[in-house]
Amino acid sequence: MTSILPRGVSDASFNQALSEFRAIVGNSAVLNSDEDRQSYIDPYAMGDGKDHDSSAIIAPASTEEVQAIVRAANKYKVALWPVSRGKNLGYGTASPAEAGNVILDLSRMDKILDVNEKYAHCLLEPGVGFYDLFYHLQEKKLPLWMSVPGNSWGSVIGNALDRGIGYTPYGDHCEQICGMEVVMPDGEVIRTGMGAMANSTTWQNYKYGYGPSWDQMFMQSNFGIVTKAGVWLQPEPEMTAKVDLAFAKFEDAEWAIDILADLRRRDVIQHNIVFGTPVRAASTMSQRADWYEGEGAIPDSVCEEMMKKLGLGWWNARISLHGHEGVVKANADIIRKALEPKMGKELEFQFWAKGEPMEKAAQGVPTTMGLNCVNWYGGRGGHLGFSPVLSADGKIAFDYAKKVKSLYQEVGQDYYASFTIGRRHINNVGLILYDRDDETTLNRAKKLIDMLLKEAASRGFAEYRSHISYMDAIGDTYDYGNHALRRLNNKVKAALDPNNIIAPGRNGIGSRK
Amino acid sequence: MKKKPSFSHMGWMLTPVALIALVAGCSKENSAPVPEAKAQPKISAITTATFGRDSKDEGERLFGKECAFCHVGTSTGSFMLNRRLPDDQKGNADLNKRSDLEADYVKAVARNGLVNMPAFSKIEISDEDLDKIANYLARKKP
Repeated sequence: MTSILPRGVSDASFNQALSEFRAIVGNSAVLNSDEDRQSYIDPYAMGDGKDHDSSAIIAPASTEEVQAIVRAANKYKVALWPVSRGKNLGYGTASPAEAGNVILDLSRMDKILDVNEKYAHCLLEPGVGFYDLFYHLQEKKLPLWMSVPGNSWGSVIGNALDRGIGYTPYGDHCEQICGMEVVMPDGEVIRTGMGAMANSTTWQNYKYGYGPSWDQMFMQSNFGIVTKAGVWLQPEPEMTAKVDLAFAKFEDAEWAIDILADLRRRDVIQHNIVFGTPVRAASTMSQRADWYEGEGAIPDSVCEEMMKKLGLGWWNARISLHGHEGVVKANADIIRKALEPKMGKELEFQFWAKGEPMEKAAQGVPTTMGLNCVNWYGGRGGHLGFSPVLSADGKIAFDYAKKVKSLYQEVGQDYYASFTIGRRHINNVGLILYDRDDETTLNRAKKLIDMLLKEAASRGFAEYRSHISYMDAIGDTYDYGNHALRRLNNKVKAALDPNNIIAPGRNGIGSRK
Repeated sequence: MKKKPSFSHMGWMLTPVALIALVAGCSKENSAPVPEAKAQPKISAITTATFGRDSKDEGERLFGKECAFCHVGTSTGSFMLNRRLPDDQKGNADLNKRSDLEADYVKAVARNGLVNMPAFSKIEISDEDLDKIANYLARKKP
């Protein structure tokens, strides 16, 4: 029996809604037992995760079923929390921001509808995972490459809609979306961009269409449910090169970020660059207890021992180059000239040319290795991302890194950061690791997030993405004009979704206190 | 560890073979170092990502789709499990090679999760498909 109800919905009314849902998708695609709801609780929640419990799960198999569900949800005023595959790990996984929402699990909509080799684009349903698309490209021997995020278990579309990040030239995932099909809160289906023309032949070729371009409206939002989207893929290059960089000193961040950001801005480096601390690297392949078992933050001396043993620096980056042979070799030379004099050693690029074994190529291959980080403190581990956007400037980033490291030390947390360096910005992706069953690590994590929120906001930095527990708090930091943007978002929300049935509270929009 | 790994080999994602050898050297003093040979066998990330996908055995194919990316070769599940295996079993963490798995145990872990492994819902893997995966993992190994 369901022990939690959608907000403002009576038991009787909810039972009627569930009956209608079952009539739409079949009995086996509506779940509401305690055991089934438990399987959707965030496995990395801070604590037991019940504060974000759902009232039921419904899993449609088609756009038409999504439309019918949305209409029924309006009738009974049952809020839905759409997830593509429900693997937004570190941000709440499949759990809703507002407890009691019905999770709309789109993972059964898992068709790869089209892959076009010539134009290097595909059309996907939201249930298609990175592994599914990767296998499809391998199986069909298509010379098309994907960008993958650090943890690739999730949905290609879902990750792009939350503006996830990869580390090859197509790594700005939301930028690769071209054309969407969206079920609106009233049940109507729209197609964005060129897809707004019924017999369009260019839906995945040109993003903007005619008049306003709406695709961004459906990212990190709750204005509709994306049921198909076009994704641009990378044509296999003639050559790649990769090199791992380890910067020996903490202070190296200042000059290294300036050089790397300049190379990025000029497209010598064509991808956003991860620039991370030793704990970030070590947590993907070892546990804290392998290095240190003391209280408080791991001391610098232990980090330095870790760096020596693992061949790391205080900052670690992987650069890859993609393109025609002449371009790749020329860009490798430019990078050598920019970095070798400062680093005092030769850079050893690993080159791959078309036809050589793919293992050597700087291709995005889906992986979950990054998830090892949840085991850092041992026990049932968890992680939560806190990632403000900074300008791509060495001094600004280094000053912030010093301050944040001191805040981690103050609360006794091991400093974990990466600066994902773009052309003009940095996503300072910080993970806060904890043991879900250890109150001390949980309280420390919560205290640290509050401190980081204040610190980032005081410097004019705001987050690029949010965990479900912090959606309002992060929305609060976007405060220009006494939260004018929130008022606009809420006006749009009220106009499109007067019953607030799609993901209330997503990114601070339509939150109900 | 006999030889210092080359700079280009080192990065934020070391191979587990290299890693375990490295970590072994700095473990707690009273714990025995893990010999390099006992680490998980190294296979390519592409093999891990696509394991079993074109298998004729339906159980293996489903295992490939739902589990292998974490439980075969250079991946998270195998890596975490290998840490927990007793010394004489190190290197045998891949689920498809284990000979001690019972079908009911596999199903219970998949439905409830275990330590850092998330649970799988009935939407993600139906009871029928989970039976096939569990039977595949519990099969008699040659």
